[in-house]
Amino acid sequence: MKLFTKLTLFITLSKMAIVVLFVLLLPLLVNRVASEYTNYNLREQKKKVLKAINSNGIDYYLQGEDSYGSYTMLKEEYISLEPDSTGAVRDTIETSRRLVEGDTLNYRILRHSFAYKNKHYTLEVGKTTSTISQYNRPLQRVALYVLIVLIILTILVDLIYTRLVLRPLGTIIRTRLINTRFPFKEHAPPVKTSTSDFQYLDQSLLALMGKIKEAFDKEREFTSNASHELMTPISILQNKIENLMVDSEMDEELQQKLTGMMKTLNRLKKIVHSLLLISRIENDQFARTDTVYIKALINDVMEELEHRATSRDLQVTIAIPDDVVIDNMNHDLLFQLFYNLINNAIRYNKEGGTITITARRVGAFWTVAIEDTGVGIPPEEIDTIFNRFKKANRIEGEGYGLGLSIVKSIAQYHNIRIDVQSTAGKGTVFSVVFP
Amino acid sequence: MKVLIVEDERSLALEMEAFLQKAFYLCDLAFTARQGQKMMEENQYDFILLDLGLPDKDGLHVLQEAKKCCPGASYIILTARGDLEDRIKGLDLGADDYLPKPFSLLELQSRMHAISRRKSGLKDSLVALGDFTVDLSKRAILFEGQEIGLSRKEFDLLNYMLLHKNRPLTRSQLSEHIWGNFSDDDYDSNFIDVHIKNIRKKLTAYAPAEWLQTIRGIGYKIKI
Repeated sequence: MKLFTKLTLFITLSKMAIVVLFVLLLPLLVNRVASEYTNYNLREQKKKVLKAINSNGIDYYLQGEDSYGSYTMLKEEYISLEPDSTGAVRDTIETSRRLVEGDTLNYRILRHSFAYKNKHYTLEVGKTTSTISQYNRPLQRVALYVLIVLIILTILVDLIYTRLVLRPLGTIIRTRLINTRFPFKEHAPPVKTSTSDFQYLDQSLLALMGKIKEAFDKEREFTSNASHELMTPISILQNKIENLMVDSEMDEELQQKLTGMMKTLNRLKKIVHSLLLISRIENDQFARTDTVYIKALINDVMEELEHRATSRDLQVTIAIPDDVVIDNMNHDLLFQLFYNLINNAIRYNKEGGTITITARRVGAFWTVAIEDTGVGIPPEEIDTIFNRFKKANRIEGEGYGLGLSIVKSIAQYHNIRIDVQSTAGKGTVFSVVFP
Repeated sequence: MKVLIVEDERSLALEMEAFLQKAFYLCDLAFTARQGQKMMEENQYDFILLDLGLPDKDGLHVLQEAKKCCPGASYIILTARGDLEDRIKGLDLGADDYLPKPFSLLELQSRMHAISRRKSGLKDSLVALGDFTVDLSKRAILFEGQEIGLSRKEFDLLNYMLLHKNRPLTRSQLSEHIWGNFSDDDYDSNFIDVHIKNIRKKLTAYAPAEWLQTIRGIGYKIKI
């Protein structure tokens, strides 16, 4: 999962959790606040009543009667004053029922006993519970709405900010990791960010890529220089042997030795040529501007190789439609690629075997498959066959280990994919998948 | 024929000289561009073999100047660099041919031969070969005016041996000429035998071809 998706999910879910918690707690809180406030209110009213009694005298209210009672019109609140014979000291707040004018209602009642001129009285101040909780619901609803709006706002702000902060990371991943193809060509500018972690990451990646490129360039340069430097001494050796052969025409034994030396020298020459070819491909020294007709190309390759196939009694079948045309290729390199693959198919085939070359289209892409009935490649070797100087050790003294390396270099150079399927002892299919 | 070899690698220059002298070329050697240019001013050459990697001057530049002072000579560029670009530039500047190092001296001689033939017109395009006649311009071998059908590679092979007549040629030398860089000793030397067998069969149907000799353990030669 992407970092941004994770953060988005986390931000949204955590805020949702807060909303749920709030919705659960809200009624409790509101009820508590309301009842606390009512208690406080009742006590204030008690204080007012006592203050009034103290200043006006209790008889002002009793007016000769035994008790005093007063309530508002809708019976939301009442005050009563009664003589208390028990003389118990009471100061409580509780919820209970009272019968007022024929209506039984739930009241929150404050009871307070006090003495006045040696007589005990009980004061009751009551408030209907329905008035206490009448604002709870709208209050809760408004609070919830406000909360939801605020949460949505913070989520939006969070997401915008996260996106902004993470954008350099996305750029780093895109430009440094996904869209880069080895070998890295030009030095990319550093990603713009004020986040030091990202700066560090970007710089480290750039430095790493630079190091890889440097090492690769060095190897490339070495291969190129070494092969060039080898050409002159090989040249001298070859010419010396050639001259010796002319000079010693009468000495048959010497002639045969010289022929052997020439063969070894040819092998050396071939290796150096192959290394040079690889280094030139890796140094981008070939134009990729040719339009290649694969059928004609394969026929050209076969013309060069036919004698080898015939000498091993191989049956070669070519089934390639005329319309297999690939743009933006280098004709000579592609020739070399198929030459090496078909040559291998001949070399590693068994006497009297077959080679089948077919083309098929998958989506917009052409695949040319070269199938042989040869010795095959053991599964553990398939991954290494394209490595330089890795040769199959089954057939003694065969192969110089560079044919498939050249194939790999040419394929990479053209964005071609090479798939290998092989069954040891049965044969191998090399599939050339064009871009 | 006078040849100037401009090559900073002394032993290579000496080998080329030794080989060409046997083919009756007169050779002068120059190991630097300056030396070479001096010799070009003093002498007339038919061939100038020019190494592009000279220590004191860029070879292509030398070629450009040499073309001005000795326009009559034929130029063959020799280089270890082998870059396609060099080759194209060299040929653009008027070089007659191009040989990437390492090259076979036989190949050098056959290129020189081809150039002289091209330059001298088609005067010597008919060569006698035993009872046969080889028409170099038509690339055909004739018996009493009748053409004998050889394949392209078979004719190439015969032609190459004819050029280096009286000299044993190894199978690898022959296969390198026919298949170039693609030649492969393990395979193609056998196939040279197949080709020679075919050529013999086709020719002996008309007349004996004893001049085409097998040198045991080495290869073949045309002896006339």
